[in-house]
Amino acid sequence: MTQFRPGRDVYVVGVGLHSFGRFPEQTLSDLARDAVVDALRDSGVPWTAIPVAYFGHVYYHGMSVGETTLAQLGLTGVPIINVENACSSGSTAFWQAYWGITSGVFDMALAFGAEKVPGGPVTVTAENSPARYIGGDHMMAGYALRMTRYMEETGAPASAFAQVTVKARQNASMNPYAHRKDTYSVEDVLNSRLIADPLTLYQCCPTSEGGAAAVLCAGDALDAHGIDRSRAIRIAAAALTSGNYNGRGSDHSAFSPYRTEPAALQAYEMAGIGPEDVDIVQVHDAATIGELQQVEALHIFPYGEAWQATVEGRTALTGDVPVNTDGGLLAMGHPFGATGIRQVHETVTQLRGEAGPRQVENPRVGVAQCSGAGDVTTVHILTR
Amino acid sequence: MTPSCGRRSELHEPLSVDERCLRLNADDGSAGTLLGMRCVECGVTVFGPATFCQSCSSPRLEQIDLATEGTLYSYTIVRVPPSGWPGPVPYVLGEVELPEGPHVLAEVIDCAHDALRVGMPMTLALRPVAMPEVPDSERVVYKWRPA
Repeated sequence: MTQFRPGRDVYVVGVGLHSFGRFPEQTLSDLARDAVVDALRDSGVPWTAIPVAYFGHVYYHGMSVGETTLAQLGLTGVPIINVENACSSGSTAFWQAYWGITSGVFDMALAFGAEKVPGGPVTVTAENSPARYIGGDHMMAGYALRMTRYMEETGAPASAFAQVTVKARQNASMNPYAHRKDTYSVEDVLNSRLIADPLTLYQCCPTSEGGAAAVLCAGDALDAHGIDRSRAIRIAAAALTSGNYNGRGSDHSAFSPYRTEPAALQAYEMAGIGPEDVDIVQVHDAATIGELQQVEALHIFPYGEAWQATVEGRTALTGDVPVNTDGGLLAMGHPFGATGIRQVHETVTQLRGEAGPRQVENPRVGVAQCSGAGDVTTVHILTR
Repeated sequence: MTPSCGRRSELHEPLSVDERCLRLNADDGSAGTLLGMRCVECGVTVFGPATFCQSCSSPRLEQIDLATEGTLYSYTIVRVPPSGWPGPVPYVLGEVELPEGPHVLAEVIDCAHDALRVGMPMTLALRPVAMPEVPDSERVVYKWRPA
């Protein structure tokens, strides 16, 4: 269905973050700008050399926030595009930056994202929607429905889900950018208050604020820009999909994770690799069940078996396929516009061998998967 | 239904929460039918409105009455409600699979929490719901209860 015509090789040459958490004194632009400055510094490329920028964010903070943010760095006149694709807004900005370069239009691009998510349960419909009478527009309730069903079909115990949070918190305790750094036991997670049975509070990602940025460059332009090739990480695949009926309509299986599969298959095809070649994985773990089902949809583990792999430690930093090595949404927090690029940040940092105490041993291939309302899915594959 | 609701419905026709999803069949709003759109070309049926088929994109759709009974595909007990939720807390949210294929999310009523089971038969129930302190906001809402 989708035709891929990637042209030039594209590399991530700089990544940056603004810490994730709550920052009432800082504006959305402040968070975004700090991440961009961090990424530019990491790349060694000056802002004046960037020919195009894509900005992911969801909640309204005035028009053209991408432009007003980057105006602080100097008015260079380049095209700046504001992207809204729900929780995948940041990864969609990254996807656009990739295709802008590989297609030959631009030599470099900046992808950045930021968000200040309001507290409380996240809804996706407008205030006056009939959905408010129905009671089904509730992200975590959607995940809880999946979890009930998954437990029924696989026999997974509640403790297996809690282990996802335990692992996320352990990873985040070694990550200075994380929203939540304190660690928990399985019992702590299961005993936290119920949000939507069987999901407890510590199995749901915090709503957060933060920023993330990445500088991308064509392989044939690296030398001209004086970029250190030893720290450049190649983008082997960039896939973005929306809902695909595929035997199950949008009213089936609320928020089905299996919509990830088409994007994953596209990405593996583009990269010329299979799931067995993947060393590290970042997935959209807005809730514990999300991580289990996404790694299954990526074919890292067979359907219904990710919970067992988690219990066995296979997805821990020391396991054979570490998942959400920086703490994921569960511990990093989830500023929608930033999350997808934060996953790229972590993948690049791991592939460079610069992840410090949470460094995985010698990873060469990393996958980053991000989901969003509207059945948006992005899958990016990065290689060293 | 409270007495005040009864008086109101004598003055005003009860309104469906969404006429594209629920057609009311009784003057007092106590009976109704869930509506779906079925593709004449491939037979795929969806709950609620559609202009083109979700599966084959055909414009040849026909509106059909959906079954009033289905099975509970999954459920959750919502302890922290979404903003604007006008009902009791906690409430049970159920995903019911209808024989025509669609899954319909709605509140499950008249069921003890420990009696909930995946696969249990469910039947349609209609209830009037008003948004607190919002004038003229009463609507008839579809819900599920054990069959």
